[in-house]
Amino acid sequence: MGTAVVEINGLSKKYGSFLALDELTLSVERGQILGFIGPNGAGKTTTIKILVGLARPTAGTATVAGIDCVSQARRVKRLIGYMPDTFGSYDNMRVREYLDFFGAAFRIPRKERVRRIDEVLEVAGASTFKDLFVEGLSHGMRQRVAIARTLLHDPVALIMDEPANGLDPPARIEMRRLLVDLADRGKTLIVTSHILPELARVCHRIAILAKGKLRAYGTMEEIARQLNPQRTMEVLLARREDVARAVEIVQRKLEPGTDVTASTTEAAVRFRTALAEEELSRILAELVAAGASVTQFREVQTDLEAAFMTVAGGESSTATSEANG
Amino acid sequence: MNPIVRRELVELLRTRGALAAQIALAAACILLVLVRWPTGGVSDLNGARSMQVLRVFGYGLLAGILFLVPAYPASAIVRERVRGTLALLLNSPMSATSIYLGKLGGILGFAALLLTMTLPAAGACYALGGVPVSGGIGLLYAILGLAVLQLATLGLLVSSRADSVDTSLRLTYSLVLAVAVLPLVPYALFEGKAGGLGELVSWIRCLSPIPAVLEVIGQSGRGAHGMDAGTDVIGRYAILALGTSWVCAMATIARLSSAPLDRSRPAGVMTDDLSIGTRAARRMFFLVDPNRRSRNISLIVNPVMAKEFRTRRFGRSHWTLRLIALSALLSLALSCIAAAGALEWGHEEIAGGLVILQTILLLLFAPSLSAGLISSEREGGSWQLLRTTPLSAGTILRGKLASAIFPLLLLLCATMPGYLVMIAIDPQLSPQAQRVAVCLVVMALFAVLVGAAASSLFRSTASATVAAYLVLVGICVAPLLAWLGRDAPFGRGTVESVLSISPLAAALHASQTRGFAEYELLPVNWWVMGAMCLGLIVLLVVRTRRLYRPE
Repeated sequence: MGTAVVEINGLSKKYGSFLALDELTLSVERGQILGFIGPNGAGKTTTIKILVGLARPTAGTATVAGIDCVSQARRVKRLIGYMPDTFGSYDNMRVREYLDFFGAAFRIPRKERVRRIDEVLEVAGASTFKDLFVEGLSHGMRQRVAIARTLLHDPVALIMDEPANGLDPPARIEMRRLLVDLADRGKTLIVTSHILPELARVCHRIAILAKGKLRAYGTMEEIARQLNPQRTMEVLLARREDVARAVEIVQRKLEPGTDVTASTTEAAVRFRTALAEEELSRILAELVAAGASVTQFREVQTDLEAAFMTVAGGESSTATSEANG
Repeated sequence: MNPIVRRELVELLRTRGALAAQIALAAACILLVLVRWPTGGVSDLNGARSMQVLRVFGYGLLAGILFLVPAYPASAIVRERVRGTLALLLNSPMSATSIYLGKLGGILGFAALLLTMTLPAAGACYALGGVPVSGGIGLLYAILGLAVLQLATLGLLVSSRADSVDTSLRLTYSLVLAVAVLPLVPYALFEGKAGGLGELVSWIRCLSPIPAVLEVIGQSGRGAHGMDAGTDVIGRYAILALGTSWVCAMATIARLSSAPLDRSRPAGVMTDDLSIGTRAARRMFFLVDPNRRSRNISLIVNPVMAKEFRTRRFGRSHWTLRLIALSALLSLALSCIAAAGALEWGHEEIAGGLVILQTILLLLFAPSLSAGLISSEREGGSWQLLRTTPLSAGTILRGKLASAIFPLLLLLCATMPGYLVMIAIDPQLSPQAQRVAVCLVVMALFAVLVGAAASSLFRSTASATVAAYLVLVGICVAPLLAWLGRDAPFGRGTVESVLSISPLAAALHASQTRGFAEYELLPVNWWVMGAMCLGLIVLLVVRTRRLYRPE
C-alpha cells in the first residue's frame, strides 16, 4: 500500500440550489494515475477546481500531500501542476519567455529556472520550439508546452483536464507514454478525458462521476464488477455442429430465463451470468464430457466505454423518466 | 435585401451598449433644448436663443458621432475573423462587395437611428425660431451623415487589416482623431497665406468635418483669428469626404477579395541567430529589439509587470521608446519655434498647445495600455492560470498597474522639455509649469485607473477599451462643450462648475491659456480627480479580489 498524495473526503459543492458535487470521497497514491470520467456536468471540473484552489467546497475536505486545499490554498498551489482544458496563451511571447514567466511566478531562482525550462521542454518533447511564438503553435505543440508549464515547479501532483483533446493519433500515443513516464517518476496524476480507451490504457484507477456523485471507483476490473455483477462468458468451439449441443448444456445449467446467444458462423456461444467460478467450472466440465470441441472458455472483459455507458445510460434514462414524470 | 445588413443591425441593436448610446444621445440633446426653452411667457423673436442652442447642439452631435460611431465599424470585420465566421461568409456565394456593403449598410443604418433619436431635439430647436430647416438643421444633418460615411469606411478599412478587435479599435480612434484634428494644424500655422500653399492648406483643412459643422452653426470664424477663409468649406468637405470614403471602400473590398485569411504562422526568428550586420541594423532601428532573446525575469521584479511589458501588442518597449522620442522632439520643436519668433505665440498659447498634445497622447495611450490588463487575461484563459500560481491578487494588480503607469510617466517626462525651455526663457513661469505638471500626472493616473477598472468590469478587451475611451472623453473633453457655449447659452457659473471636473480644462487653466485663465478650476479639480481616482482604486481592488478568489 503506497502513500495517498491526494485525499478527498466527503467533498460537496453547491451553486445556489444546484448540487454540483455530492460527498465525493477518494484518494490517489504516489505514482498512480487516476482517470476521472463522467458525462458533461458530472462534477469533474468542479472537483479539479477545488483541488487547485479555484473553487471552495460547500462541505468536506481535500488535501494534497497532507496540505488542505482550502485553508492553505497558497501552499497547495506549489504542490500542484494544473493543466486546464484551455491553454491560456499570451500574444507576442515565445515559449521560453512563457515558461520563464510562470517560473518567476512560482519564485524559482533565475539560474535554476534556466535549467528547469530546458529540462521540462525535454520531458514534454518541446525543446525544438522554445523560440517560437506561443500564439503560432499548433494544438499539439501547445499541449506539450502546457505540460512543460505544469511540470516547471516540480509539483507532486499533476491535474490534467483533457490532455489528449484535439491531438492526432501519434501525438495521443506520445501523450500516453508521457503520462506513464511521469507516473514512473513518482508524480501523482489526475487525468480527465473523453477518449476513454486512452484512459483505460494508462490509468491505475478510474473514478466515474455522474450528477456529482461517485458512481464507481477502483481498478478497471473492480469497476466492471461494481457496475455490473453479471459477466459475459464466451465459449468458442472448434466445430460448428457442436454449437446447438453446447447451447442446450449451458441453458440447462444457468438460471431460468438467462439469455444465451449462439453464432454458428463464429462457432461461439455467449451468455451473461452471476455464477461463481466453481459453478462455471462445472459447466465447462459438462461441455467437455459431452464431447463438445471447446477451444476456449473465457470471460469477455468489460471495457471502460461499456462501464461509462452503463453509468451515462442510467443517468440519461433517469433524466428522461424525471422529465416525463 | 442584403442579409448582412439585417444581421448587423439586429446584432447591434441587441447590445446594451447600443441601447445606452441611443438613450444617452437623445437625453443629452433633449436636456440641452430644455435648458434654453423660453420660460415665463417670454418669446425670443430674433432667434438668438435658437442659434445658441443649435451651436451647442451641433458641437454635441459632432462629438457624439466622432466618439460613438467608430467603435462599430472598427470591430465589424475583425470580430468576424476572430470568431471564425469571416471564413463562412467568404465561403458563401456572396461577393466581397456584397459583404462590404452589408457591413457598411448595417453601420449606416445604426448611425441613422442614432441621428433620428436626436430629431425631436432638433425639431424643438427649430420651434424656438430663427433656424431654417434647409440651410441650418437640414444641412447640419447632411454633414453629419457624410461624417458617418467617412468614419465608417475608415473603420472598416482598419478592421479588415487588424488582427484583434482591440488593436482595430485603438487604430481607428487614433485615425479618427487624426482626420478630425490634424488637417486643422497646417491651416492654423499658415492661415492667410496666399497662392498655392494657402489653397492647399485650405483644402487639407476641409478633410475634417469640424470646419463644415462650424460653418453651419455660424462659428466659422472660431480659431481663424478673425479671418474667415471665405471658401466653400461645406462643398469641399462633401467632395473630400466622398472621395476618401470611396478610396477606403475600394481598399477594403480589395482586401476582402484577396484571401484575407491566407496568413502563415510567425516563424519565430531570433535576432541572436542572425548575422552581426543584421543584428546591428536591427539594434539601430528598434533600440530595444523585440526579437532578441530576452533575459530571465529577476525575482526582485514583479513577474506580472515584466510579462506585461513583453507581451502586449501595444506599448511594447520599442514602440514606447519611439513614441517618447517623438513626443520629446515635438515638445522641444514647438517651444524652440515659438522662442525663435517664427510664430507670434505667447507662452500661454505654447503651454496650451503642449497641454493639448500631452492630453491627446494620454487619452490615446492610457486606455490602450490599461483597458486590457485584466480582460485580456480572462479572454485568453490565462487568468485562471494566474490564479493557480502563488501570486496574490495584490501582486498581480500592482504588476499590471505599474506596467501601465511607467510608460505613461515616461511619456509625460518626454513632453516636459518644452516647459523647461519656457522656464529657461522666463523663470517666473516655473510655478505655472508645476501646476500644469500636477494636472497632467493626475490625468494620467485617472486615465490608467479608468482603463484598468473597465478591464476588471468587462470580459472582452474591446468593450473595456470602448468604455474607457467614452468615460475619458466624457470626463476630460465633453465638459469643453459647455465652455464652447460660454456666455450663451451657459452662464459663467455653469461653465466653471462643468469645467471643474475636467483635468484637461484644469491643465489649460494652469497654463493660463486664453479662455480658461479666468475660471477658478484649481484646486477644486484636484479634489474632484482625487475622489474619482480613490473611487476607481476601491472599485479595482474589489473587482480584482472578486475575480481572483475561489468560486
